[in-house]
Amino acid sequence: MDREIELRLVARLKAGDPAALEAIYEAYRPRLFAFLVRLSRRRDVAEDLLEETWLRLVTRAGTLIDDARLAPWLFAVARNLYFSWRRSRAVDDRRTSDLDPAWPAPERGDSPFEAVARAELERRVEAALARLPLRDREVLLLVGVEGLTPSEAAGVCGLPPVTVRARLHRAREKLAVEMGVDRGVPRARAG
Amino acid sequence: MDMTTWEPGDAVDEGLSALRVHDASAERVERIRARCMGVLAQRHEKAERRARPLAGGTGWLEPALAFSLGALYLAEAVARALAVYACR
Repeated sequence: MDREIELRLVARLKAGDPAALEAIYEAYRPRLFAFLVRLSRRRDVAEDLLEETWLRLVTRAGTLIDDARLAPWLFAVARNLYFSWRRSRAVDDRRTSDLDPAWPAPERGDSPFEAVARAELERRVEAALARLPLRDREVLLLVGVEGLTPSEAAGVCGLPPVTVRARLHRAREKLAVEMGVDRGVPRARAG
Repeated sequence: MDMTTWEPGDAVDEGLSALRVHDASAERVERIRARCMGVLAQRHEKAERRARPLAGGTGWLEPALAFSLGALYLAEAVARALAVYACR
């Protein structure tokens, strides 16, 4: 989102403008949902946390600083809600590594061949992401998928930027191994 | 080594960029929207209610009345003091 537009939306949201909330909701809702579902590996949990994230935004809109950046703010709330949920349920990663079978949904508009190829690549990446440790997965999702800068991701995770950069490097290497790729060339996985 | 620079064409980047953005169910999307708009409307109503006495209506009456009574009391006190002084 363009920074000027974002600043105007923040000001209007602080003033209680419903149209500003609608614009922000449309821009960030799918990204936040995808982030949450890839962290939690469960659609139902992701939907509950998504709802809580948006309620936090509207209830705290008045306290946003004038030059707030919406993406890091929203992802930080979503991420913290997810970790709170994990703590409250004592979630075991080994039990949540399999993604909900309803994910991803087929996309309309692709030719059958494209749809199959895309779905296969996506399945491999999703499966590889699911096998990463949560701490590595979250930085990879924030920077590699959602396009946050490593500094913004550091703010979201409450870590020093240098730690996030190291984690990102490690996560990329692990993902490449999990995907069965070497030096940028896809390699077929045994079995 | 710059650990944030990702080589173009890298299979990892290619894979990550293949991930699609998905959305919550239509019912949930609508429910969240309705709840958020409700909270926003409540906030707006509360702010309006707070601002209303100052904006118009009878909000001016209370301070004007207090000021008038205060002025009357002060005038009476001064008049009595002057009367006492004049009698001497």
